[in-house]
Amino acid sequence: MASLIRYIIRRLLFMIPVFLGVAILTFAVGNAAGNPIDLIRAGLRNPNPAVLRALTAYYHLDRPVWERFLYWLWDLMHGNLGVSLSGRPVISQIGPWTFTTLELQILALILAVVIGVPVGVFSSKHQYSKTDYAITTTAIFGYSMPVFWFGIMLIVIFSLWLGWLPSSGAVSVNRPWWGISFLDPIAHLILPTLVLTYVELATFVRLVRANMLEVMRQDYILAARASGLSERTVTYRYALRNAISPVVTIIGLGFGAALAGAPATETTFSWPGLGLAFTQAALTLDIPLVEGITIVITVMVLIANLITDLVYAVIDPRVTVQ
Amino acid sequence: MSESRPKRGASQWAVAWRRFRRNKSGLLGGAIVIFFVFVALVGPFVVAYPARSYLSLYEGDAGTPPSFKHPFGVEDSGIDVFSETVNAAHNDLYVGLAATLITTLIGVLVGACAGYFKGVVSDVLLGVIQMFFVIPVLLLILLFARVFSVLVFKGLGLTLIVLILAFFGWSGIAFIVRGETFRLKEMEFVQAARSLGAGSYRLLFRHIVPNILSPVIVIATLNIAGFILTEVVVSFLGFGDPNTSTWGLLLNEGFGYVRTSWWVSLFPGLAVVFCVLGFNLMGDGLSDALNPRLRE
Repeated sequence: MASLIRYIIRRLLFMIPVFLGVAILTFAVGNAAGNPIDLIRAGLRNPNPAVLRALTAYYHLDRPVWERFLYWLWDLMHGNLGVSLSGRPVISQIGPWTFTTLELQILALILAVVIGVPVGVFSSKHQYSKTDYAITTTAIFGYSMPVFWFGIMLIVIFSLWLGWLPSSGAVSVNRPWWGISFLDPIAHLILPTLVLTYVELATFVRLVRANMLEVMRQDYILAARASGLSERTVTYRYALRNAISPVVTIIGLGFGAALAGAPATETTFSWPGLGLAFTQAALTLDIPLVEGITIVITVMVLIANLITDLVYAVIDPRVTVQ
Repeated sequence: MSESRPKRGASQWAVAWRRFRRNKSGLLGGAIVIFFVFVALVGPFVVAYPARSYLSLYEGDAGTPPSFKHPFGVEDSGIDVFSETVNAAHNDLYVGLAATLITTLIGVLVGACAGYFKGVVSDVLLGVIQMFFVIPVLLLILLFARVFSVLVFKGLGLTLIVLILAFFGWSGIAFIVRGETFRLKEMEFVQAARSLGAGSYRLLFRHIVPNILSPVIVIATLNIAGFILTEVVVSFLGFGDPNTSTWGLLLNEGFGYVRTSWWVSLFPGLAVVFCVLGFNLMGDGLSDALNPRLRE
């Protein structure tokens, strides 16, 4: 237990430089984007000098860069992400987006794990069978596909040609023909979830299959078989437990990658989450908003990684000893 | 001396090639890759329309579906999708290969140092490598692309994207190389070289690195696929270079009129899928062929 706690503390301490690194990178790039006042000013014909002075003071533009960074970091630590160019505080805008993003990502992740692990095990148990070839082929296509392109193709088929499912947004603006209100958000979830699940599934299936094949060759599996345990027990209690620990890492990293990939998936489906907001904010150079979203996603990815590390430590206690 | 040299066993590369040759999916991947390399090198000189040209518009073709004259159809703006897809192959392969070359060099260097040296150097390097694993890389790539292409380095075009991808993409190779170096540095052949007086530099780059080329080659091949996919996302979202033909830019334009002209989205996307698939299959094949644990 003590080693587990030490391990958790070590992982938490590791996150501080990671978070600072991302903060520095984000701030530096945001800073390179230029003077925010010039951007605000570009839309005004006769800017009020008093307003400009107030803005200069607000952004601390009369101070050196490193001092501005410390001001920014100080605000960040106090939950103040600044004000976006639209004039609204970033933090109050980000809340609902975060919820919509997580709704989609977590649903897809759960589906991918629940489907991916058994399919991967099945595929490895029937290596080189027709089903195995079908599964691995489907998986490597999912692995080689731009997520958003698969989404576009599904939109073309199911929304534009067949007209079965909505192509964009999280809820309908107009009352759809199926009318019933609680089905509407579900109908909007189907295509984005399908796309995300398929792509994440592909990674899990490949990995579970490869690890299972590796583990099933080990001597202790032979020993378990020789002592007369059922194939089921050997597969799930002996092999899978050892094959699954690298998969846990990939689930964590994959969740991070999927969150970072949210701009593409959410733009495709006009899904009103952090990714779509990030794309639009970055294209309009709304730097406070971009910085805020990057920080929020980084924190979520770090939390996901921490949870992954914990699960890993529970499954495979060896990692806590160092 | 007349006696013939003792017959040597097959080199590890010959063994690997023999094993790769029997791997059908690996060979298929290799064939796809060769096809795309051929298209990228020869295609731009053969296709009917130059890159980014709206010439079809003057011929009265805009937004027309696939036909004999325009096998992949025409964009609403008058760009012939087939010619543009072929022209883009050149640029997308350039991004994939150039970014992979740079990241492999950085990754091997950093990974070898992190695995070989002890103490603070190794700890700091490992920390930096792990940091690049957990940060939301794609987000930062988009941000860098947007800010630097618009405001700071105008005119660098695709090379800027390559540099950004490379900056964020070297950690995977570095991590593997670190682990392998760590494992190899205590092995007898390295100890033997050390006892003969070989210095750190010689041990690292003459004895250790050549022995970890197999995993490096596999990951580099898979990285090419990854970088192409990332570039496609960057361009699709409108963060790429708008004056260079890439598959992502085509998909970006296609998404604008997906309701009327589905072919602009379909065909460049298929090109991406098959090109990336080729590199992935080849990487998997190489991985099987080069993995000594699977050797019979």
